[in-house]
Amino acid sequence: MNIELVLFGVFAVMTLLSAGLVITARSPINSAMALVSTFFFLAGIYVLLWAHTVAVIQVLVYAGAIMVLFLFVIMLLNLGDAPHRGKPTVTRLLGGASAAGLLAVLAVTLGRMDAQPARLDAQGQATFGTLAAIGQSIFTTWLLPFEAVSLLLLVAMVGAVVVAKSRI
Amino acid sequence: MNLPNITLADFLPMLPAIIMVVAASVLLLSEVFLSATASRGYQAVLTVVAAAASGAVAVGLMFEPPQEVFLGFGVLDPFSSFLTLVVSVGLALAALSAVGFLRRRGAERGEFYALMLFASAGMSLLAMSSEFITIFVNIEVLSIATYALTAYLRRGTRPSEAGFKYFILGAFSSAVLLYGTALLYGATGTTKLNDMAGPLQQALATSPALVYVGAVLIAAGFAFKVAAVPFHMWTPDVYEGAPTPVTALMSAGVKAAAFASLVRVFVTVGKGMDPKLPLMLFATLALLTMVAGNLMAIPQRNVKRMLAYSSIAHAGYLLLGVAALFVAAPGEHFRLLSASSLSGGTPLDVARSDALRGILYYLLAYTFSATGAFAMVSALERREDEEKGTAWDLERFAGLAQRRPGWAFAMAAFMLSLGGIPPTVGFMSKLLIFQAAIDVGLVGLTVVAVLSSAAGAYYYLRVVVYMFMHPIPEGAQPLERNWGTEAALVIATVAVVLLGILPGHVTDWLAQAGTLFGQ
Repeated sequence: MNIELVLFGVFAVMTLLSAGLVITARSPINSAMALVSTFFFLAGIYVLLWAHTVAVIQVLVYAGAIMVLFLFVIMLLNLGDAPHRGKPTVTRLLGGASAAGLLAVLAVTLGRMDAQPARLDAQGQATFGTLAAIGQSIFTTWLLPFEAVSLLLLVAMVGAVVVAKSRI
Repeated sequence: MNLPNITLADFLPMLPAIIMVVAASVLLLSEVFLSATASRGYQAVLTVVAAAASGAVAVGLMFEPPQEVFLGFGVLDPFSSFLTLVVSVGLALAALSAVGFLRRRGAERGEFYALMLFASAGMSLLAMSSEFITIFVNIEVLSIATYALTAYLRRGTRPSEAGFKYFILGAFSSAVLLYGTALLYGATGTTKLNDMAGPLQQALATSPALVYVGAVLIAAGFAFKVAAVPFHMWTPDVYEGAPTPVTALMSAGVKAAAFASLVRVFVTVGKGMDPKLPLMLFATLALLTMVAGNLMAIPQRNVKRMLAYSSIAHAGYLLLGVAALFVAAPGEHFRLLSASSLSGGTPLDVARSDALRGILYYLLAYTFSATGAFAMVSALERREDEEKGTAWDLERFAGLAQRRPGWAFAMAAFMLSLGGIPPTVGFMSKLLIFQAAIDVGLVGLTVVAVLSSAAGAYYYLRVVVYMFMHPIPEGAQPLERNWGTEAALVIATVAVVLLGILPGHVTDWLAQAGTLFGQ
């Protein structure tokens, strides 16, 4: 039992717990706060995966900027607590059953996986996950998806303005 | 530093998409200088010109040898170029039918055409993407553009409901697709389709379950996008609520691009896998989609909604063609889905390339017929009736043959084509797919397909009956003519009839277009 495994256990359990709280909390503010903690613990898992840059961006962008937007929206819409859940209907039971089925399939599948993770060599440890390495691969090898993402951002911006414009 | 070698030649296959993006940017920027009441007639013209230019470039690219571009993140092959051509056709017809539609509502804006162009650029890029991240990003480009277009007109509740529903379910299906991709990446260690063959063999030997679960999740994600039963729930509401020209673009372009990517992904991922799995998967989807789509369309009196269900049914026929790609050896038996060779004469690989050709021809045929039919629907509807829900009622078509014989003739051609009745392109394309399916031995499934398309003829011909045999209803409003709509109708009708009578040239040409990279 090494320290990485202990840390992974802590982060994983806490991620799942706070993610569960996001969907069960009845007050939107509590949901949003639980989401912040999900993001933080997920960032911890990224660090364990040797992806420091992604972890930092996760905290800066998601736990920071995006959450502020969430809270603004909740404040502006003046949301109250969600009403009590209704009775279980056939659709809800079916949805729950298929979700549970998918969870079971995934649990069995992933449980059968080889438990030996790939290890980085010394060279890999020096460069993997650094900002320089990520930057280099984004602008060279991954040029096509990178350009497509820039198109995606433009489309999303134009689309958001079109949907939010005064009524036509 | 080791820099990969990306040259200008790598950008050549992107040229159709680049043309569309440049045209969209011109539209967005020119809108800044226009007052609210300025004339915007040029916008549709510019869109159609851009679509025509992209289509022409795509035709030129079709004769390039298949090759990898951008280090294997994309491929240039006749298949992707043909899909770009289909998308350009759909874009041009949808933009033409939007002219009158938007003008009647005072809603002509550059952003509308720009988003259409962006969506089409995403479709063209999706058709040539051969790497999972690129595929995902391009699916999002075309999806987000169509979400925004769906909610473009926001008077009343329908468009908002449609936009919201499409957005939530679309985001969900994208997430399912992405999760499947992640599992497949976990199993193989690569996201490039062309590098996947080797690692896939290893992964199937060590952890097959991971590959299968990943593949099924990816299939489910695509099934949402092409509106296959049981992932079709969003389709009728979204198709009905969206502005009609947008529905035309969705039914033609989005579907074509999603099918292209589906075929490309599964032809690669299916290699080395037990071929029964993709066969069973797509045969089941095809069966459910054909039968349910046609049955649900029969009771519809709302023509726009009927066309939405009909587009589900057409996805079913296309899935039959996809299933035919995965028959490894005749004589596999799953009762109804059994593959047993009937003709015996055609070798399996020839039959499979016939199936691919059939899918491509079907996509072209459906694009002409469906966008034409939606253009007709948009010409007849009036905004005042939308909230009452009667804007698309069959009654609108009553007596059309006496009021506008040309329109009625065009609509009759589209309905016959969608129903698969000769001498239209819809008949030829169904023939190609069904023939390929029989040749590989999917006899039971093809019989179901023929029977369900016969059931489909009922609701298509009902529209024709209303147009030609019912009297003009009392107090019918005058019909407005518009050059855009009429141009779209003429182009689509000529194509539907010509491709139905003289399919030879195109199918010969398609024999080449059915070349997938690495096949």
